Amino acid sequence: MAIIKAEGLTYTYPIGTKPAFEDVSLNIEKGEFVILTGPSGCGKTTLCRCFNGLIPHFYGGKLEGEITVSGLQVSEHPIHELAQHVGMVFQNPENQLFALSVEKDVAFGLENLGVPREEIRERVDWALKMAGIYGLKDRAPYELSGGQQQRVALASVLAMQPEIIVLDEPTSFLDPLGALRIFKVINDLNKKLGITIILVEHRLDLTSKYANRVMVMTKGKIVLNGHPREVFNSEEARLIGVGIPKATRLYQILKAGGVDLGRVPLSSEEAYEAVVETLAR
Amino acid sequence: MFDGFKFRSVSSPVHTMDPRAKFIYVCALFSVAVMFNQLIPLLILFVIQIPFVVLAGVQKEWLRSMKGSAMFAVIIFTMNLLSLYFYGSYGSLPAIIERSLAMTVRFLVLIESFSVFFLTTSPDLLGLALEQSHVPYELCFAFTTAVRFVPVLAEEAQTIMDAQKARGLELEGGNFIKKIRNYIPILIPLIVNAIRRSLELAETMESRAWGATKNRTNLYVLKIGGKDIYLILVSAVIFVVSVYVSIYIQFPALTQLLVG
Repeated sequence: MAIIKAEGLTYTYPIGTKPAFEDVSLNIEKGEFVILTGPSGCGKTTLCRCFNGLIPHFYGGKLEGEITVSGLQVSEHPIHELAQHVGMVFQNPENQLFALSVEKDVAFGLENLGVPREEIRERVDWALKMAGIYGLKDRAPYELSGGQQQRVALASVLAMQPEIIVLDEPTSFLDPLGALRIFKVINDLNKKLGITIILVEHRLDLTSKYANRVMVMTKGKIVLNGHPREVFNSEEARLIGVGIPKATRLYQILKAGGVDLGRVPLSSEEAYEAVVETLAR
Repeated sequence: MFDGFKFRSVSSPVHTMDPRAKFIYVCALFSVAVMFNQLIPLLILFVIQIPFVVLAGVQKEWLRSMKGSAMFAVIIFTMNLLSLYFYGSYGSLPAIIERSLAMTVRFLVLIESFSVFFLTTSPDLLGLALEQSHVPYELCFAFTTAVRFVPVLAEEAQTIMDAQKARGLELEGGNFIKKIRNYIPILIPLIVNAIRRSLELAETMESRAWGATKNRTNLYVLKIGGKDIYLILVSAVIFVVSVYVSIYIQFPALTQLLVG
């Protein structure tokens, strides 16, 4: 059963003259790991805001078409109700932490929901352990590095136990190592807990191997939608200007030069194996 | 001077006290300081707070706040001296000086007690105390969030200053008006950024079920403990004794003691 289903979705911001995206239809299944990518300003962020009702409830504007998330019609349910099903992690980690200690920040959502104190404590500890930051429990947010702050933001969302987590370019403020750690945590959440992940990302080299679907948006439309191997190997992806993984690019260049690796690699490990096999042939 | 009000995370018996108890202590001292206008009782009030400062282990910061307020103390002293000399009905110069000194010490007593309060109370606990005193949650949240973003904004202001200086902005020099105008290119980006930041914060709050229920739970609860009761008792004793003394006992002026 589709956990997110959109049909003919069109949205215009209150101050906008033309739609941020137009006639978008999509179907995301429970437990999928979806990467949403495309050039800046293509409407990725705007689309993400529809998943937990920030659009239309927080931003206003005109939303046409149908979108249901976890069986709830987005336009009919308030944000705080949708927030229990969809967790959102944003770009700037600094602006996602309000409290003066990590523990209090992770508890924030649960406090808002009026969860009993004992249960909050259990769920906060659990979320901190899942994000690998239990040791930072009593620290203040400004004492942490960007990567640590972003993992706190992730834990805060996780503590609310959503079925879906949407991450909007969570690593654009982080160094490569911090980014890698975030991606590993996200992958664990997807594989071990079966949480549906929607990741907006440009760093496709590091993330493609985790995903089972890539959607490419440009100019307010989803133009490519499929398994990473098919999408990244397509001519369109390269023309749009998606940062195709280097391993996939290597495959294409070798193929153009007459060497067929046999299958499309997404990471350097996969490329290594394919090259070794081809050489042995 | 503001350094003397900045909370530092140290563990001492005073740090772990309930902010409400400490607030009662501050209020008691405040009203007592206002009750007296002679030098001797105000000096006593100044001295009896010192053990409390030592107990909290914040002597260094406390001294800094005293040093910081020295300039204000001098201003208060001069203003009092001048106005009493020209308009007051006090006769002798020593009496005027003593009265001016008393006003200055009163100011120091107030600074002293507030400084100890803010030095030893974490903003988190203060927010919690406000919340449990039935202040609307929105206000408490605004308070703790504001405190949380002070270092962030300070850092941002520094970045903007460096960036504008790199483009040739002169911050120093000129008269007072000129100096203020120099800072406009710093203030505008800072404010615009702060507004943008607040939008992002609002978005995050909404995504974390802000306002889902009226009966919010709180992870921590403050409880008035043994030493809190002790502090409240001490404050009450100071207050009651002072009221009694101010009504029934006339303190001699220091000048009278010395002369007589």
